[in-house]
Amino acid sequence: MRSWRTGVLLFSPLLLVLAGAFIVPLILLAPTSFREYQPGMGIVAGSFTLQNYVRIVADDYYREVVLRTLGLGVGVTVACLLLGYPVAYLIVRGRPGWRLPLTLLVIFPLMLNLVVRSFGWIVLLTNRGVVNNLLIDVGLIEAPLKLMFNVTGVTIGLTHIYLPFMVLMLVAALQNVPRDLEAAAATLGSSRFHVFRAVTLPLTAPGIIAGSILVFVLTISALVTPRMLGGPTYQVMATLIYDEYMQLLDWPSGSALSFALALATLLIIWISSRMTKRWAGLA
Amino acid sequence: MSNLTLDHVVKRYSSVTVVKDVSLAIDEGEFVSLLGPSGCGKTTILRMVAGLIDPSGGTIRIGDRDVTRLPPNKRNIGLVFQSYALFPHLTVHENVAFGLRRKGQSGAALDARVGEALAMVRLAGYGERYPRQLSGGQQQRVAMARAIAPRPNVLLFDEPLSNLDAKLRDEMQIELKRLQRELGITTLFVTHDQAEALSLSDRVCVMQDGVIQQFAEPETIYRRPATAFVASFIGKPNRLAGTIRGGRVALDEQLELRSESDLSGDGRPVEVFIRQEAISLAASGDESVNRIAGTVALRSFSGPQVKYVVRIGSDQELVVEAPSSGPAGDLAPGQPVMLEVHPQDVLVLSRETAP
Ligand SMILES: Nc1ncnc2c1ncn2[C@@H]1O[C@H](COP(=O)(O)OP(=O)(O)OP(=O)(O)O)[C@@H](O)[C@H]1O
Ligand SMILES: [Mg+2]
Repeated sequence: MRSWRTGVLLFSPLLLVLAGAFIVPLILLAPTSFREYQPGMGIVAGSFTLQNYVRIVADDYYREVVLRTLGLGVGVTVACLLLGYPVAYLIVRGRPGWRLPLTLLVIFPLMLNLVVRSFGWIVLLTNRGVVNNLLIDVGLIEAPLKLMFNVTGVTIGLTHIYLPFMVLMLVAALQNVPRDLEAAAATLGSSRFHVFRAVTLPLTAPGIIAGSILVFVLTISALVTPRMLGGPTYQVMATLIYDEYMQLLDWPSGSALSFALALATLLIIWISSRMTKRWAGLA
Repeated sequence: MSNLTLDHVVKRYSSVTVVKDVSLAIDEGEFVSLLGPSGCGKTTILRMVAGLIDPSGGTIRIGDRDVTRLPPNKRNIGLVFQSYALFPHLTVHENVAFGLRRKGQSGAALDARVGEALAMVRLAGYGERYPRQLSGGQQQRVAMARAIAPRPNVLLFDEPLSNLDAKLRDEMQIELKRLQRELGITTLFVTHDQAEALSLSDRVCVMQDGVIQQFAEPETIYRRPATAFVASFIGKPNRLAGTIRGGRVALDEQLELRSESDLSGDGRPVEVFIRQEAISLAASGDESVNRIAGTVALRSFSGPQVKYVVRIGSDQELVVEAPSSGPAGDLAPGQPVMLEVHPQDVLVLSRETAP
């Protein structure tokens, strides 16, 4: 009981900030999301409609944006996982001399501004960018590949930006796997690959899940990178919300979309924390 | 089952050599302990045998197979860790089955072998539990079952009992010895507990700073230590400085002792070791024993035993143990005493080999 109360007290400053900065505005937005919006007239006072929510699933355009956002989230998460696991493994299990340089390499991008990093990718990925020029010069392709203003560019940019988070989560998970367990499996006849599959991978599952949630949630709520690398036509939920508010001034629809996004995020966190608990119960 | 041979094995870490030219031949079915102080290279040797550390030089042979460059999974060994190293995400049954599955066993045959191994460590019926649901002693036994289930050629133990409390450790020692006898598997056992090493092993290998000091039966290690280090490491010896003089060892101008050790080389400086438990305070009337006159300086009572610090000769001291209920259990400081030591209990070793 006592420790519970201590916990609440320790958390209360953070809870207050979160409540003030996120929860209160969200609740204030709730009534707006049920208002009717008439183009050119604005919000109809005193109206009540569910249309803003229905549209998210019923309207083809909205549904496409939602599915695209979720797809992007899955794609970036998988890419971060596939690229990040080997790096994390090398940091934890590789030569001690590589540890610091590799860790710095992973963390360094975090020190650069998001906009700068996205611009970097524009320089690399445009039609006359570094990558296309190189491929053409080498003779692999004749016409430039379309790497920007589509899903490819956004996936590359977001993967790069969220990779450090995934790697850091995986490093923490790998450091928790005692080396004796891997040694024990080896003496019992496991090849290096089997040691990894039967011991290391299951024991890092909680870290994999935690890292994946983090990257997924960050991806589906990302605004700057999809806007810069996706251009004006490649819409995801965050850019759509931004446009509804700032361009169309359709606050009710934007609010409804915000709520849908927040709800999806919470749902995903809830499901995966249940999964983690089941894994961690064994690990 | 096969013998285990280490031939001039060396391990270097950049500038330091932690295992220096170790040669060791363990017979088939034999139980050998590696005994030595912390940091002397015991774990390093064990892990080189397991294939977890690459030796810098020398060869390791299991049976007639040179395994020096083989990975651990090709060596057919069983290793029991101090930390148990059970797989936390697998049940006890699956932990024990792990090595068997690697050998291609499955189905009823596998279940039978797992059941057999668990019965051997008296954990039948615990198969469905997870390691975290077991006590430390039970976890240790699962670790043993896991190591023996695939019937390895060599069993390796790295201080497997040091995390257990004293009573459980005694029980497990007996259990371990019984198990090893039943299976007849060649065993290398690392420990820094001398009582454990002496009571469990067929032969004990005493090490210091990466060098083998003596490799012999427990009795020999105890009664005829080969070096000053072994003599000082085993038991609770008194350590005195002396000189060889006319076929005897002299502790000072007046005090000379007879000994069955090598007493050649007149004037040679030596170290003299006399175990506390080998010194008697009772007069036996036997003319062949050494007699040493002294004065009690200190008495310390510890239940069944009393310890005395006795001042002898001009400036030397001996610690003597006596049963507290006997006639010598009640000596007061300042009282003169006559100590008796049999010549075979006076160990004389060259001073150069002292650490
Ligand atoms: N990776 C390493 N790099 C450098 N030195 C090492 C390394 N591993 C071990 N050593 C050194 O090798 C020596 C022997 O280590 P080892 O673990 O074999 O000792 P031990 O006899 O098992 O000791 P303990 O009884 O404390 O377990 C120690 O002095 C240790 O510092
Ligand atoms: Mg050790």
